[in-house]
Amino acid sequence: MKNLAQQIPSRSDQRFAPLKGALPTHGAVGYVGEAGAPVDVLSDYYLTQYALAPLVVENSTNHPLVIGNFPRSKPSQVPDNLTMIRDFGNGVFLFALKDSK
Amino acid sequence: MSLVAAILLGFASSFLLLRLGGSIKGQPVASAIFECSLAAGVGIGIWSVVYFIARIAGIHHLLLADVAVFLALVIAYVLFRPRPAVAFNLAAAVPGMPQWLERMLAIAFLPALAAALYSVVVRTLAYPHGDGWDAFSIWNLRARFLFLGGEQWRDTFSPQIPWSHPDYPLLIPASAAHFWTLLGRDDVRVPAAITVVFTFATIGLLFSTLHMLRGRTAAMLGSLTLVATPAFIEQGTAQYADVPLSFFFLAVIALLCLSDESSAKHGNFVALAGLAAAFSAWTKNEGLLFLAAIFAAQILMTILYRRKISGMQPGTSWRSCVYFFAGALPFLLVLFYFKHAVAGPGDLFASGSSAMRKLVEPARYWAVLQWFVKDFFRFGRWLLVPGTVLLAGLFFAVKNGASERSSAVRISRIALTLTLAGYAAIYLITPRDLYWHLRFSSDRLFLQLWPSAIFLFFLGWQR
Repeated sequence: MKNLAQQIPSRSDQRFAPLKGALPTHGAVGYVGEAGAPVDVLSDYYLTQYALAPLVVENSTNHPLVIGNFPRSKPSQVPDNLTMIRDFGNGVFLFALKDSK
Repeated sequence: MSLVAAILLGFASSFLLLRLGGSIKGQPVASAIFECSLAAGVGIGIWSVVYFIARIAGIHHLLLADVAVFLALVIAYVLFRPRPAVAFNLAAAVPGMPQWLERMLAIAFLPALAAALYSVVVRTLAYPHGDGWDAFSIWNLRARFLFLGGEQWRDTFSPQIPWSHPDYPLLIPASAAHFWTLLGRDDVRVPAAITVVFTFATIGLLFSTLHMLRGRTAAMLGSLTLVATPAFIEQGTAQYADVPLSFFFLAVIALLCLSDESSAKHGNFVALAGLAAAFSAWTKNEGLLFLAAIFAAQILMTILYRRKISGMQPGTSWRSCVYFFAGALPFLLVLFYFKHAVAGPGDLFASGSSAMRKLVEPARYWAVLQWFVKDFFRFGRWLLVPGTVLLAGLFFAVKNGASERSSAVRISRIALTLTLAGYAAIYLITPRDLYWHLRFSSDRLFLQLWPSAIFLFFLGWQR
């Protein structure tokens, strides 16, 4: 828990800074993260939301834009209905829903 | 520049508001610490409300709103300030305490305070975003939404992120957003500073009130007990809302006791206690429970006194209840509006039938009782002897008959007991896994009540 608190600036604010320019300033986007221990999965998601506020990041892929957060592995288990738009490095990806216009 | 102006305005506004409640004659140092501590916490509370109302009303010039509030309070002060100043009987030193022991206590007190300050600074630098999940998944996240959200600031209450507790009140995030707005950026030092201010304001409030009512020894012992509670310093830098909540709980009880023991009894301090109670409800949902508990305790004691079956000193009356409610009302209306027009739904009472089923499961009662007993000894994360055990042992040895009969003390004890019972009831019906919920929150709930419990204990110290 303490490591998590210390890692926030590097793990969220800094990692997601390049992505912000590619996202709308308001509204909601989806989220897909890597599998793992529940505590890591949840903290990755919360930190993403913290970094990208005031954009609402819903833990769902049912959005035209979906953020991919894979800090420890390659995005190999991404749902088929998503297509990668851009790799921002540091395990940060932007996906789009395939059938969205 | 506007930030400095806002801090000064906030402090001056809350100072004026407190002075409307009355000034304290005698004990200049203790009363100055008391007023500064109270003004710091109340000022942050006022600024959070100003920010929220400005957001609702679409006011963009926040500094102008701050100035308007300050001027309104100046006018109110000129028109309504109470005369004469409230006088208190000067508390003498504890009899029977050897001189050398008093000196030792005085020598130990300042290093302990310095150690606490050092610990706070080190922890704040180590955890600039707070220490723990709630800091960035609830309180600071909400502050970011409020400040960065522009016209879409209500997105923070979106049902798409229910885990961020959209029903939680806004004192902490709105005060951070207020200062960020004036600063022009979301500096991480602001929420850190807010919680640190509450930490030391709580210590100051405890010390000064005990000093005024029971003398220097009781004040130093009480403050040492709090400062020597590791969990209090940890939580005081975690950027959670529990220490600010404990500040308002203590403020309510301190103001009621000051009113009760003042030579010129009037309701202004009781009204200020009502205001502090409303701010506790504006800080966390537990504050609403505490407000209901202390109001119910006041009504109960009034009824008992009317029937002359309690044997307590006079000091509680229907008039006092009205003053308390009147002090709380303006900010309760803000809270009511927030809960009904802005906030999202809470999760605790979402499933009524399931909650009722849980209420009749004896195993849940046993689990909560066991956990509470365990946390009674360990919530402070003491190294050797739990502070609760020390106080419980001393309680029967030094309790004071005068305080036993004090209506404010009785009201406060009933309120804290009811609040603790309310916490237990919440665990009984929680929709989350019971043990998970207890594990990650019950120590903080105990900590919310701890400064008030210390205060009431040392208030029983003989003059």
